[in-house]
Amino acid sequence: MIPLSFYLILSAAFFSIGVIGVLTRRNAIIVFMCIEMMLNAVNLSFIAFASFFGDSSGQVFVFFVMAVAAAEVAIGLAIIIALFRNKLTINIDEINILKW
Amino acid sequence: MDKLGNILHSLNFFYPEIALTLTFFILLLVDLFFRKSKHLLPVLSLIGYVITGYFSFTTPNASGFLFSTGMANVGLYITDSFAFYFKLIILLSLIYTVLFSILSKEINESTENRGEYYALLASFGLGMFLLTSSTDLITIYLAFEMVSLSSYILAGFTRKVPRSAEASLKYIIFGAVASGVMIYGISILYGLTGTTNIYLINFYLANQNYNTLTLVIAGLMIIGGFGFKISMAPFHFWTPDVYEGAPITITAVLSVASKAAGFAILIRFLKVAFVDYAATNLQASLWAILPGFQWNDILAVLSVLTMTLGNLAALWQNNLKRMLAYSSIAHAGYMLSGFVILDNQGILAILIYFAIYLFMNLGAFFIVMLISDKLGSEDIDDYTGLGYKAPFLTVSLTIFLVSLTGIPPTAGFIAKLYLFAALVNTGWLWLALVGVVNSVISLYYYMRVVKNMFLRESISTYEQKIELGHVLISFSLLIPTLVFGVYFKPLIELAEKSIRIFGF
Amino acid sequence: MAGIPYLSLITFLPILGMVIILLIDSKKITLIKLISLIITFSQLVLSVILWINFNYKAVGINDPNSFQFVEKWRWIEIKNLVEWIGTIKIDYFLGVDGLSMPMVLLTALICFLGVIASWNIPKAIKGYFALYLLLDTGMIGSFLALDFFLFYIFWEIMLLPMYFLIGIWGGPRKEYAAIKFFIYTLVGSVLMLLVMLGLYFSTYEILPDGTQVYTFNMLQMMNPSNYSKEGLLSPFNPHNLRFIAYIFLFIGFAIKVPMFPFHTWLPDAHVEAPTPISVILAGILLKLGTYGMMRISFPVFPEITNQLVYWIAIFGAINIIYGALCAMAQKDFKSLIAYSSISHMGYVLLGMASLTTQGTIGALFQMFNHGTITAMLFMIVGVVYDRAHTRGVNDFGGLALQMPVYTGIVTVAFFASIGLPGLSGFISEALVFLGAFSSDSIRIIAAISTLGILLTAGYMLWTLQRVFFGKLNPKWSQLPDVNKIEIAALAPLAVIVIFFGIYPSPMLNLMNSSINKLVEVVSNAPVVFSNLSLIIK
Repeated sequence: MIPLSFYLILSAAFFSIGVIGVLTRRNAIIVFMCIEMMLNAVNLSFIAFASFFGDSSGQVFVFFVMAVAAAEVAIGLAIIIALFRNKLTINIDEINILKW
Repeated sequence: MDKLGNILHSLNFFYPEIALTLTFFILLLVDLFFRKSKHLLPVLSLIGYVITGYFSFTTPNASGFLFSTGMANVGLYITDSFAFYFKLIILLSLIYTVLFSILSKEINESTENRGEYYALLASFGLGMFLLTSSTDLITIYLAFEMVSLSSYILAGFTRKVPRSAEASLKYIIFGAVASGVMIYGISILYGLTGTTNIYLINFYLANQNYNTLTLVIAGLMIIGGFGFKISMAPFHFWTPDVYEGAPITITAVLSVASKAAGFAILIRFLKVAFVDYAATNLQASLWAILPGFQWNDILAVLSVLTMTLGNLAALWQNNLKRMLAYSSIAHAGYMLSGFVILDNQGILAILIYFAIYLFMNLGAFFIVMLISDKLGSEDIDDYTGLGYKAPFLTVSLTIFLVSLTGIPPTAGFIAKLYLFAALVNTGWLWLALVGVVNSVISLYYYMRVVKNMFLRESISTYEQKIELGHVLISFSLLIPTLVFGVYFKPLIELAEKSIRIFGF
Repeated sequence: MAGIPYLSLITFLPILGMVIILLIDSKKITLIKLISLIITFSQLVLSVILWINFNYKAVGINDPNSFQFVEKWRWIEIKNLVEWIGTIKIDYFLGVDGLSMPMVLLTALICFLGVIASWNIPKAIKGYFALYLLLDTGMIGSFLALDFFLFYIFWEIMLLPMYFLIGIWGGPRKEYAAIKFFIYTLVGSVLMLLVMLGLYFSTYEILPDGTQVYTFNMLQMMNPSNYSKEGLLSPFNPHNLRFIAYIFLFIGFAIKVPMFPFHTWLPDAHVEAPTPISVILAGILLKLGTYGMMRISFPVFPEITNQLVYWIAIFGAINIIYGALCAMAQKDFKSLIAYSSISHMGYVLLGMASLTTQGTIGALFQMFNHGTITAMLFMIVGVVYDRAHTRGVNDFGGLALQMPVYTGIVTVAFFASIGLPGLSGFISEALVFLGAFSSDSIRIIAAISTLGILLTAGYMLWTLQRVFFGKLNPKWSQLPDVNKIEIAALAPLAVIVIFFGIYPSPMLNLMNSSINKLVEVVSNAPVVFSNLSLIIK
């Protein structure tokens, strides 16, 4: 059987990649994909813990996280479209009316 | 008691939330059929909020856990006087927001989908209601996201205005990352304790061995998520952009209500999960925190960082909304300093601060909204000489700003007084000193607005007819701001009654 | 006598006037001015009634039973709702003794004359007088309050009206001067706030029903037996912070005085403020600083006052000499007077630091005299500025022939400021030096400070000579002499200055018993306080 720590390390790695992606990528859609990756890393760690404890609440949590993530992306894409209509770009560097 | 019976029993204490949910659905439905009517939706939402308020008052407090999960007699949800107090604040700010929206040119002219606006405001409120009372990490997360998702849309509601859409995008990116960090922290905490209920988490932490470092990392991640909601440094970057870009009514509600909900859950989470029950004397005010890590040191640093960054950045702002955004960051810092001492006196100070902050901050935003509707600008330089053109509005704005600075005889002073009193009494003198120095700094930028309005001659051709509605709403905010400055007994009594968190 | 709340009347009459003025149409200028005049005049009458009925034997200071015209009600009382908070109570507590009575008289007088001096304020009359009256309430209230919390509220109420009065009706650099004033004084008051809270959590008062509650009552704070064992500012606590608290509180008051090095706001504020506001600022506001020291710092922290009087005296001497030297270098008439204020407030500090009855009475009397004399001086500058629209000392010359009445009044004021015998300034300065020389610790400092008298005589006479004597500048040959309104504002002050110069005893008697008590409280303190700390050990 694969030990719990493997799952957790994988989850941590995913999470870190997601965070780095959010911080470095400039395309708004890719930023959202990176956020999805963070959330999926969380899901992985929840499931790993849940199966380790034999407790269902972690798995229930995963369903909620997935649902929320879907809602978040739906809203995010809608906002990106609204912004694209205004500025004709989804490059985060060019979205800069508001600063300091 | 069987599961179903428990749920049915719990519903008896859940009327306020049910009322808010129904308000949400009714607003959506009514909007489908009566698109033309301009005042129907706000009136309906007001009725909904009043009914919610009625149920909030009639539902008994400290009734115990609701929606019990069957295990160890704990539940997902709780009603206690602490939550009730924050719900009052949230409800009041929702009512004011609806009133502001009726008068706001921005909202009335910019969009055809007013129905969604009011409906989302209701769901935003529902999320905050749930957040103040949640006792399980699952419900906390869901309520948190409900608040966030509604506010992302509301912030970008005037979507044809470029800066509104931009604010919305920045908000959702920051928010999604913050909630990602928080949920990762939650998953670690779950892994550490094997449960998602914060009372059970406390039980496990008190009775079992655990790795302190892991706990600290998880705790900090979760605090970071909540810190995003209260715009705590270093999670505050979204605040100025969103406050400037969002419609001003939404800025107002974000600055008060969502901050209140964030503080409520932050306090509840830390107090319930990390306090050593056995060592805490319930008659005393100081909490005994579980050994292993001094949470107050890190919180003190965050608090100082938040108030100082907010105040220093506010000094350079030319846009009034943006300045108020930074000022609200600074106020979050002050309130956080009440939390730092991990003592009921500090929590009492936060409760009092919020009630007063509600009136003064909403007041400031309301006046700014009225002026910018006419002036077409939120630039502080464009306020030059307005004191002689619109005396009523500018004098009111001055009172609100003075109150935000914390100068007697306005209520803002009482808020700061209680805060600094708690700090002095618990020996956090350096933090109190930082706090008062920050208040002095804040004087400069608040007075800059006042200076432009009164100390300079007018250059604009601004003219304003004061309507009755403006005057009434202004007075309803002005009177508490002034009266609580000299007679604060009722407020303090209410706050003292509301201090108890269930189980303490 | 009993039954009429004189002190509340004096304090809140101006607020009433403010409300009435706010309700009046802003075009009825004369009515607004008349109302302010009537209000401030009734305030003056009330304070004279107080003086007539004042019991000269009652000591006050730290004895709650010998304050006069006391009004004490429960303002805020929150009963024991939560165990760990206990009962919270704040009193509305006003009273006068020999320390505050002269200041109340001074405030009422200067505020009344200030209204006369404001008769020709150019714009926004309604706002001006509303703010003026609010300021009045703040000042009188601070002199009367015996509850620290109440004192603090009144103290802060003064800030905002003053900011606007300088900022709206001031000169070219008004914005800078106004915000500088505001920030300086707010720094002082937030430090005071911390000390106030520290004292609150260190002192208990026992209520009639036997419960112990924390108290803001200043008089209770002066009684060592009210301190708790572990309070931060309790003398019983071996790790107490009383020394730091004293410094904080002292800075809070010193900014108002203004004591070197916190004085830089004053010349700016004075130069930019309109004449009547300069009068108020110099005549009353500065006194609040030294009054606060005598009322709060000295009796609440007697043992630390004893340790530090030497330093207070040094700062007093610096103020005297530095202020005088700066005054000498000024070319602007108004900033010259402003620096002379700094110099004269130094005498107050020196007199207080002597911890002798003569010295302290001298200090209090100097506060009164400086209030009247500087008020005159600023009005004098106002008169000439209104006519010539310049304040350059060197721009004038030979005005004595052109404006004989004016020059007569000016001479009285200048000589009083120098401290010429026969005028009130002499009495108080003489008392200050008498006290300072009889105190062993500060004798040398007092000797150095006498240099200040010479310097004052130097710059005052030089100014007199430059402005009023010599050849008349033809540009000013059309200047009219003082008009009736100006005489109405100046003459009473001149009379008072001469009267108290010849016959000071009414005022000195008024102060005597309270100041005696104050000096006794402070100089006996080491015994009381160190005995107590012995008991703990």
